[in-house]
Amino acid sequence: MTAPVTVGELRRWVRRTQSTHRERGERLGNVYFAVLFVLIVGGMVHRQIAAVVWPAGPNASELAGDSLLVVLAGGLYLALRRLGPLALSRPAASWLLTAPVSRRRLLLPSLWVALTGAAVAGAVGGLAVLGHVAARPVSGADGLLPLVGALLGGVLLLVALGAQAGRRWAAWSDHAAYLLVGVGLAGLVADSAVGAPRADAGWPAAPVVTALAGALAVVVTVLLLLAVRRLATTPNERILEAAKTAGTLFDSAYGLEPSFVTEMVERRYWAHRKLRSRRLWRRVPVLVAQDLLLLRRRPRRVLWVVGSTALPALLANAPGWLVGLAVLLGGLTAGGVTAGTIRIDAGNPVLLRLLGLSSRQAIGQRLWVPGVLSGLWYAAALTVLTLIGDGPAGPWWALGLALGPVGAAATMRRARVGFVDNGLMPLDTPMGSVSTGPLLNAVAGLDVLLLGLPTVVQLTQGGPLSWTGVAVQAAVAVIGARAYLNATTEADRVELSGR
Amino acid sequence: MDQSAIEVRDLSVSYGSTPVLVGVRLSVPVGAGVCVTGENGIGKSTLLRCITSLQRADAGEIEVFGGPPGSTPEFWRAVVTTVEPPTWYPGLTAREHAELVCRAHGLDPAAAGVDEALERFGIAGHADAIPPSLSSGQKQRLTLALALLRPSRLLILDEPEQRLDPEGRAMVAGLLGDYLADGGTVLMASHDDAFAAAAGTGTVSMAELHAADAQ
Repeated sequence: MTAPVTVGELRRWVRRTQSTHRERGERLGNVYFAVLFVLIVGGMVHRQIAAVVWPAGPNASELAGDSLLVVLAGGLYLALRRLGPLALSRPAASWLLTAPVSRRRLLLPSLWVALTGAAVAGAVGGLAVLGHVAARPVSGADGLLPLVGALLGGVLLLVALGAQAGRRWAAWSDHAAYLLVGVGLAGLVADSAVGAPRADAGWPAAPVVTALAGALAVVVTVLLLLAVRRLATTPNERILEAAKTAGTLFDSAYGLEPSFVTEMVERRYWAHRKLRSRRLWRRVPVLVAQDLLLLRRRPRRVLWVVGSTALPALLANAPGWLVGLAVLLGGLTAGGVTAGTIRIDAGNPVLLRLLGLSSRQAIGQRLWVPGVLSGLWYAAALTVLTLIGDGPAGPWWALGLALGPVGAAATMRRARVGFVDNGLMPLDTPMGSVSTGPLLNAVAGLDVLLLGLPTVVQLTQGGPLSWTGVAVQAAVAVIGARAYLNATTEADRVELSGR
Repeated sequence: MDQSAIEVRDLSVSYGSTPVLVGVRLSVPVGAGVCVTGENGIGKSTLLRCITSLQRADAGEIEVFGGPPGSTPEFWRAVVTTVEPPTWYPGLTAREHAELVCRAHGLDPAAAGVDEALERFGIAGHADAIPPSLSSGQKQRLTLALALLRPSRLLILDEPEQRLDPEGRAMVAGLLGDYLADGGTVLMASHDDAFAAAAGTGTVSMAELHAADAQ
């Protein structure tokens, strides 16, 4: 009979063995670079972060504060659910999860890490709500709002942990979180629409904050005790899935390659769907029929896209050029619903070769669905924006439709960009060197959005919209999209990228 | 007339300082079936990749149906290859992939026999599954079913018997025999002599293709 081994011993042995293969001082070097990285990035963006979390004076209404709290809570829950929330590293999932060791001890460190992360996220959220809404100076009990946020973060994590263990209410909790995000965003839009006045000096009411903090502390304690007791019963497959997620996120961050995450999310979405084969619609070109089928299979995504048409209204009081850019960017979310097919074709042209279509035919057909979707999105967003913000008169819906080809071409360009090229020359700046590969990938697609410049100019000037303005935008969009098609595809080449 | 489907002359490829193909010659007449055999690492897949223009050779000439292999739509309407595994479209079932391929070639899916093909390849029960959820053997069956479903003049297959059970091998060999009988040309790489014989292809070893140059 073999002697029992503890997880701690195993982990220590792995660490010791790994460190013997490392050069002396390598660990110290890694720590040094990590600290340096945090200092440099912090130095670059600390003012922006401070402005987001703690503006100089309160600038939001009570409705906005409550809505923001609801959005952050729903968003945090969904993020925790996507992450696991209980995860192990990939090697630990392979070797320790299958070892005869105490499951609780194996998983406890992960629980503490997740709990700390959720609490910190919640605290920052609470601080942001306080910073935007509460009058200065913040009175004693109100200062507890970050603590309430941290405790709420803890509760959300522990509920997500229960959902991870495959409880029957897991799916319902996700729906509820989506609903919270939706309701919160609606609240923010309503706040922007009615121009709600700043919150009273007394917000948040001190007794409410104190009572909330006390109640949440009790709930966290009870849930934590339950969670630790049931920790060992978390199913293996859930932990394995979370380990893969953590690994993919690490790969993605390490290689500055967001496509790993996009691909994982898409793969998981379809893996959990039950499909029935349908006939492709015959009246339209074959790839348009494929995109339409894909669209039909993503009803929730379409619903979110419809809902997101109200989001530019959040910026109703911002400068016109900012609103214009935000609206243009939003079209990418609409066009992106069916962009998965392009990503596949751009990454691996095997199926395109099997289909035997030229790259011009393929992209020409694939432009249609994103074009119509983003056109409708732009039309709705601009209409909502002018209605809510009392904007100047004019056929804004027509301007939106005219932007459709811009959204389609930008979506295509973004989906076709492929993997980050980390071999490109770094750019030397006064703040240090910046890799150009990830930068180029990040702006791919946004460059094509410049075709929407007439709309940005129109919104910046703020005058009434004429049909001439619509015609100018339509002409620029159609000519631009056509030029994109001609410049990036060939009638005698199948692959989307030239070799 | 004895027109060549594939003509390879003095093909050389090396990976770094390791030569894989040196002066390789190969001729496959239209309507013929040729199976290239040889041990792992001898360059079978490299040869097939070069012939389908998916890999650039260091030296030598390749002609497919009298012209250079290319990435034109005409080339890929005549040639089907399974040298590279496909990445499947998201949100499309196995059957819909088959229908998409038929429709892209202007075929009516019912007339082209999509359902019969899935049935024949033993994946009719998984027609509604998304391909990534299939087993590796089933994925191989689907890939071959799609390759044989669409019209083509030349099949270039890399170890088509791989991951197939004995029944599957016999069925694929039979289909390749039918393809040849209908006037198609087949070039494949395989480790299974019995499979090659059942498919009706002649066997040539990579060593011989190299030796042709030495003479």
